[in-house]
Amino acid sequence: MMIDKGISRPLIFEDHFQLDKGDLHRILSISLSKGGDFSEIFLEHKIYNLINMEEDIIKETAESIGLGLGIRVLSGEKTGYGYTSDFSLDRIKKTALTAASIAVSPSSKEASKLISSPIKHNFYPILNPAHKESLEKKISLVKRAYLAAQNSDPKIKKVKVSLQDQIKHITIVNSEGLMISDIRPMIKLICVAIAEKKHKRESGFFGGGGRVGMEYFAAELKPEEIGSKAAEEALHLLEAVEAPAGELPVILAPGHSGVLIHEAVGHLLEADFNRKKTSIFWNKMGKRVGNPQVNIYDDPTIPHFRGSYNIDDEGTIPQKTLLIEKGVVKGLLQDRLSAKLMNMPLTGHGRRQDFTHIPIPRMSNTYIDRGEYDPEEILKSVRKGFFAEKYQGGQVEDSGKFTFSVSSGHLVEYGKLTAPVKQATLIGNNIDILEKIELVGSDLKFGLQTGTCGKEGQGASVTDGCPTIKIAKMTVGGHR
Amino acid sequence: MRRREKSPLLTDLAEDLVVFGKKNEADEIEISIIDGYEFRVDVRFGEIENLLEAGSRYISFRVIKDKKTAFATSSDLSEETLRHLLKKSIKRAALANADEYSGLPPFSPKKVDTQSLKLYDPEISDLSSDKKIDLAKEVEKIALKDKRITNSHGASFETNEIKFVLANSNGFLNEYDQTVCSLSLGLQAGETDNRVEDFWFSSRRYFNELESAEEVAKKAIERTVRQLKPRKIKTQKVPVVFEPLMTSWLLGFLFSCVSGVSVYQKTSFLANKLRKRIGNEKVTIFDNGLLPSKLGSKPFDSEGVPCQKTPVVENGILKNYLCNTYAARKLRLKSTGNAAGTSVSPHNFYLQPGNHTPEEIIASVDKGLILIRTLGHGLNPVTGDISRGAFGLWVEKGEIAYPVSEITISGNLGEILNQIDMVGNDLNFYTSLAGPTIKIQELTVAGL
Repeated sequence: MMIDKGISRPLIFEDHFQLDKGDLHRILSISLSKGGDFSEIFLEHKIYNLINMEEDIIKETAESIGLGLGIRVLSGEKTGYGYTSDFSLDRIKKTALTAASIAVSPSSKEASKLISSPIKHNFYPILNPAHKESLEKKISLVKRAYLAAQNSDPKIKKVKVSLQDQIKHITIVNSEGLMISDIRPMIKLICVAIAEKKHKRESGFFGGGGRVGMEYFAAELKPEEIGSKAAEEALHLLEAVEAPAGELPVILAPGHSGVLIHEAVGHLLEADFNRKKTSIFWNKMGKRVGNPQVNIYDDPTIPHFRGSYNIDDEGTIPQKTLLIEKGVVKGLLQDRLSAKLMNMPLTGHGRRQDFTHIPIPRMSNTYIDRGEYDPEEILKSVRKGFFAEKYQGGQVEDSGKFTFSVSSGHLVEYGKLTAPVKQATLIGNNIDILEKIELVGSDLKFGLQTGTCGKEGQGASVTDGCPTIKIAKMTVGGHR
Repeated sequence: MRRREKSPLLTDLAEDLVVFGKKNEADEIEISIIDGYEFRVDVRFGEIENLLEAGSRYISFRVIKDKKTAFATSSDLSEETLRHLLKKSIKRAALANADEYSGLPPFSPKKVDTQSLKLYDPEISDLSSDKKIDLAKEVEKIALKDKRITNSHGASFETNEIKFVLANSNGFLNEYDQTVCSLSLGLQAGETDNRVEDFWFSSRRYFNELESAEEVAKKAIERTVRQLKPRKIKTQKVPVVFEPLMTSWLLGFLFSCVSGVSVYQKTSFLANKLRKRIGNEKVTIFDNGLLPSKLGSKPFDSEGVPCQKTPVVENGILKNYLCNTYAARKLRLKSTGNAAGTSVSPHNFYLQPGNHTPEEIIASVDKGLILIRTLGHGLNPVTGDISRGAFGLWVEKGEIAYPVSEITISGNLGEILNQIDMVGNDLNFYTSLAGPTIKIQELTVAGL
């Protein structure tokens, strides 16, 4: 595959920030002038485009430019932070001093000389970057998805399609002499379809994208598929019955069900919660917490995935990170601050929404690895249960209580999928659920390339994956 | 003392861009500028964790040409970038479809007196960093004295000062300043594998209206420890009492269903229900943008339409959808001054309080649940269906018996509005969505 020439463009601060290496070094030194241990500048330039289609017309288009820099100073466990979009040297110095004020130590050190470090890998080689594509061509993609949904059945009464694309240039420099850049593309094409029958109305959703170019919509996922799958879900739900209520065996469909791993395990292995001992996992490193069939990874290096990045937002080269091996807790997702305070190696999971935020440990692409059971066999093992298929999302708190919201699924009766089921919440306690995972299937899949995870007010693009999984018993919060 | 004064620079910039847009053949143009200043300190176990202080600006455009609309935003305020972006937007508008409902609101001579709304507290910009840091430290320190508290998520104090400037080609030019300050604290109680957690916060426009450190700490402790040693319960249908923050959560969902945007898009189960009964007599809901010093108040919305008090539901009858100009035109209604870009947002959206004290409401429950927290998603405006993870207190014979967890509640908003049995007298605007304690006749609570 050819690599977009844009990937090797000159450093962005030369284009937008009018700051040279010398300026950046001086700012880093000013940031350390009150005695901080470490300082860093995060420079960001982002262009985002949006096309919305509904009621059969291209209703609006939007373009958004984000430009700014954030300065961070670490002093022991403390973080000082300031940001600005005003790049007068005066304003930047003031921002640096604000961040610096966190430290109160008489000794101050100089920042190391900045040495550019080129990245040798590229997890998102693309042919046709979306930001260079004409708006007309992008509109035609939107229309194709729209028509596919609308024409799939007369019961489809309403369709909404939106295409979002983004190109984000970042440069990170720090007082240890690091100077590193990344250019990250992102596309998301989504469709919502609403079906109506008598007085019943239901909605369906589908979408795709990732760190891909426009070629993705010719090869990987056609807009028509996005439209028709959204319609399909809405139509499916029209026939759905209300979910059962109570404790039942639950089968998780492969792919989307990865949200369970994201909530039940991923968040609680983010290093900050363990350093602060608020996570239920903080004292369980090396201990068995689940069935030995359970192996969980977080991997920011999967090509073209939404959660992937060449460097994290602190400039660290990311690594595929083993979290749970054979049911035993093996690793944490680290950022610089927690890794240093916990005296553990960096994993490249320090992420931030944009220059207005402090980086924190985050997931990227989290999944439970394939097991050995045939999915058919798993289904056959359930006499009466619930098959969870598509999700609205989930939430977890540090104590391990988590939920995830199923938007559609099926009843399981005597080893077969029967009536379609709508809207139910599954709730559990993570340690409990990990123990109750009974069978792990051989059919690992990933969910839609459309997910965003929220933590402390910051959004991060993520994906989740899992094979077919059987949970012995779980509380299903239906209506019946 | 940062920006109490008018800012001729920003209003000039907005006006210049309107003129520039007209010159470049936009039929209509709207420019808004947000100029914000934020301070935040996070404290944990008596030490500062994070200290953030920053000012930021960003600008948004809407241009309309031949009834075709384009939007743009930028945090780069350089003249070159803005002019280029604006020209591009006008060109880009041609690629959208003409939409007869598009366009700015007509000029209205009506003006809300910004002073009377009390949106800006000068005391906040005068607070020293040390005082703000000390307040966060103090609230946590009080809580950590309590032996039942076993870990801290930390305390935060945050202030925001925001200036909003709006200009459009129909002759609108105005600005206003607002402040918000918040004090919050998150705690854990219990031992490692059986921990419970919760938090409390106070958020106000005026520093002197903020709850004291003692009050915030006391509530955070009480909300956390009351969940210790939870039990699981059997799946059943019972009366459910919503605490005020839970009523707020329910109102947030209701808001998304009375939003004119969801209604014209047919993504609300309340579409086609205007002037019809959607709840029982006890349900009266207002959206009021004009309550002095409240968090949701403002003089005009993002399009410059004056804010107002709008009856949404009166004794169970749906009276108004909340609209921006576009949704209003689609629905042949009037804008209610709730525009927030292409969508709508609530001002102070509240359920009218009743006569019962929360204690009376709990005492009326023979066997049921007090809903204290929810977890997760599970709201579907298209159907009104609700399904959420929940935490609660079990009530027997009118008294709290024990906490319960790992349950879910499920129901339908349409049914819930008809099943509101009792409405409390404890309305407090903790957020811009506000409601008192309420009792719902029956909901499905799923457990074992």
